[in-house]
Order: sequence, then C-alpha cells, then structure tokens
Amino acid sequence: MHLELQPGELAFLVGPSGAGKTTILKLINREIRPTHGQVIVAGIAAHLLKASRVAELRRRVGVVFQDYKLLPRLTALENVAFALQVADLRISDEEARDRSLDALEAVGLGDRGSALPHQLSGGQQQRVAIARAVVAKPLLLIADEPTGNLDQETAWEIMDLFSDIAAWGTAVLVATHNVEIVTRLQRRVLTLVDGRLVRDQQAGQIGRMAWLASS
Amino acid sequence: MAGIVLKGRFPRRRLIQIVATNLARQVFGSAARNWVRNLAGTTPAIGSMTLLLLMTGLVGLSGFALYNLEQYEAAQASVLHVYLRDNAAYQDVDSLWDRLSNDPRVATVTYTSKAQALAHAQSIPGLPALADASGSNPFPASLDLQVNNINDMGAIDGMVRYDLAVDSVTPTSYDPGAYQRIQQVVFGLAVAGLAFLCLLGFVAITVTANSIKAAIHARRDEITIMQLVGAPRWMVRGPFIVEGAITGALAGLVAGVVTFGLGAGAITAGSSGFAEFAPGVTVATVVVAAVGVLVAGVTLGSGSSLISLRRHMET
Repeated sequence: MHLELQPGELAFLVGPSGAGKTTILKLINREIRPTHGQVIVAGIAAHLLKASRVAELRRRVGVVFQDYKLLPRLTALENVAFALQVADLRISDEEARDRSLDALEAVGLGDRGSALPHQLSGGQQQRVAIARAVVAKPLLLIADEPTGNLDQETAWEIMDLFSDIAAWGTAVLVATHNVEIVTRLQRRVLTLVDGRLVRDQQAGQIGRMAWLASS
Repeated sequence: MAGIVLKGRFPRRRLIQIVATNLARQVFGSAARNWVRNLAGTTPAIGSMTLLLLMTGLVGLSGFALYNLEQYEAAQASVLHVYLRDNAAYQDVDSLWDRLSNDPRVATVTYTSKAQALAHAQSIPGLPALADASGSNPFPASLDLQVNNINDMGAIDGMVRYDLAVDSVTPTSYDPGAYQRIQQVVFGLAVAGLAFLCLLGFVAITVTANSIKAAIHARRDEITIMQLVGAPRWMVRGPFIVEGAITGALAGLVAGVVTFGLGAGAITAGSSGFAEFAPGVTVATVVVAAVGVLVAGVTLGSGSSLISLRRHMET
C-alpha cells in the first residue's frame, strides 16, 4: 500500500478486525519494524531506525489509546507533565506545569488538573490522554480506537478535539470502528482489508465501501 | 525605571540545573522509590548477593594469603639449610663454606650460629615453648645457601650431606617435591574456590535478574508510556539499573562490613600466629577487600539488571 498524510489532515483508518489498522499505527510509531517497504514519519525513515534512536521519532508522534494508559498514581496534570519531562530533560518544572495546564485547558479540563485518573470519567480520562499526546506539539497524532470505551456523545466530543488539533496543523490518523462518526464527519477514509489498502476516499465523499468499517 | 532590578540567572547554568534536577528525579528518585516499593521481592536477591559477596571477600582474602604463602614457599624452596655438626671442626666448616661459595650453582652462602637459630625459632609460634623446655640449645648451626636453580637442589644436597662438617642425622633441609606439593594444594584450592564462586555468582545473578524482571512487569504501564512519549532508552532503563545497583550496594555494604569484621577480628585475636597462617593479610588488606566487595556488589547488581533488561524489556 502507499499512504501519505499531509499536515493538518484528519484521516480515518477503517476496516474489519484483523485488517491491519493497529499494525499500521505500530509501524508508524516504530513499535514494530516492517519486513519490507518504507515508513517515513516527519522526515525520519522509521523502517531504518535503530532501537536506540526510536525515541527521536516518537517525540514527533503523539499516541492515544482506547484504554487511555494514564498512570494511576499521578494527577491529570502530572500525567501530562511527566510525558513532557521524560521526553525532554531540559524542560523545567514551571515550564512543564504551564504547558501541561495549557494542554488540559485546550481539551476542556483546565480545572481538573489535580484529579487522579480514577476520579475522572472515561471521556475525561481520554481528554487527559489527548492532552498528553499533544503537549509536546507532535507533527503527527495517531489514535487507536480512541472512542471504543466511550458513549456516542463523548465520542463526538473527542472527535471534535481531533478536528481542532488537525486545524492547528497536526496530521491526525484515527483507527476506528465507529461508522457513524466516519460517515458524518466526511473526512478522508482509508479502508483496509487483509492488510491491503482497498480504498482511499478523500474528504467530503461518502463511499460505498464505508460499510466495511461496521464489521 | 529607577528601583527595578532584574535578577536573571545565567541561562546555561540554569539549563544544567534543570537537567540535573530532572535526571535526579526521573532516574535516581524513581529508582529509589521503586526499590523501596519492591523491597519484599528484592529481599531474596539481597540475601543471595550478600552471601556471594561475603564468600568472595573471604575467598579473596584466603586466596591472597595463599598466594603470599606460595611466594614465600617458592623463595624458601630455593634456600637449602646445611646443618652443621655441633662438634664440627672450624677448618671443616671453612672448607665446606669455600667450596659452596665457589660453586656456580650457589648464589650466596650465609652462616647461622646456634644462638641465631635459637632466636629465630623463638619467633615462630609454638617453638618458644619447645626451646625453653630443653635445658640446652637443640638448634644446630647451619650454612644457608641460596641456590640459583631449584632443580640443582638435589645435586647440591648429595654433594654436602656426607661432608665431615655436616650433621649425619639431619644433614640438610632438602625435601624433594615439597614445593610441588604446595603448588598442587594451592592450585586445587584456587580451582575449588573459583568453582564455588561461579556457582554462587550464577545464583545471585539469576535471583537479581528475576527481581528486576518482576519490577519491569510491575511498572510495564509506566515503561510503555515513557517509551511512547519518546523518553530516551537510557532513561527508561536507567532506573532499573540504579535499582539493581542499590540492591548490590546494600548487599555489598553488609558483606563488606562482615568481611572487615571477620578479617580484623581474626588479625586481632590471632596476632603473630595469624601472620604465619595468612601472610600478608593486614588490616589495610582487609579494608581493601571490604571496599572491593562493596564495588563488586554495585557492579553485580547493575550488571544483573542490565541482563534482565536486555532479555525482558521491549522497545
């Protein structure tokens, strides 16, 4: 397959279970290395990257998971600041705090910074995860089933956030099964079947293959 | 504008301070917190490592003493004492002395009188009582030869043992094969000690590596997040290596203190007898052994962690 995302573009990755959506995301983030082919992310050849240099790539890619993956002992603010400071030791506590607060405010949680993850709803936890993913201003944001554990209303809120993030210039790639969102948002839709890209539907179109996302 | 004073810090110094603070918190602070949290799981590792390091310290001191003993025996083996008859004529002794001095196989010849032999015997533990028990001086005068080549000892012994000046009952100190027997014993002890330490080392490394494996498992979410947000590999692994080093340092400290206590105690209790039994082992040697044990503990702990990380941590 050949796939290219532009800055500021929001795209959905759809397809039946086992089609390879998560694999694509893992290839982008260099969690796995391709047996052949090329993966270029923000100018870095991920397929050639040594294990010791993977961190350089990951600092340019934000990641959001279905299960949020927040550290339970840290507050929302600390979760975001932790991500910022472990990736760059030159960031002071004050700067990390300010930038983390900005990120939390951007996702609508400016007043919940001191809350622990278990004190937040699923939607709020996912917002914290998004704040963590974007706080370092990545060039690309990838999300694996980010609305899988959320109700439809909250899912829409999360998708609104992704749209806002894309509007500020970050490329966003979302793997999802949520047909309603994919259909109504009318963004670019990449349909995978058995590891192959069977359709690349540009934004604003409604494709006949959209049903594949509902498996 | 009067009265406004700006107090800016030198940016580079501030940057160094920030990096140092973050490093201390994310690597050392994190390691210390997790070490305390995992103390129950680490205890077997501390125990086995302490035992290994204690044995290393004691075997090391014993090995050092054996090495010195072997060196002493090697020097002694090339010395041949030719014991003189109590009633030997001066001319006979002089004649023998001249003959030996002119022999190219002999490096030096020195004379030890009966009084000097007695004085020397009295400096050896156990012998003063024997010397005092006898009314007369039982120790013979001797000509002490330093032989160039240890293989010539037998020939020189054969040359002098029937001389008129030489005691007919105990003519010389020559004991064929004595040095070789000592070498064999020392070699056997070294091999046994090394094998024992290897076995203990394997157990200690395995137990420590397993405790780090458990720590990796317990913190897998944190590790995943650190890896996904782009934390450098050394920063993800650093806390585990420090954690292993803390375990090793604690075990090394305990083992070092016990090694020092046993060594210093033995030196104090044994005084002159200890010097004969373990030549070269002094308080300074024991301190060096204790510090060595501590350093070995830190190395072993961090090394075991590294092995575990290589095997169990994914990128």
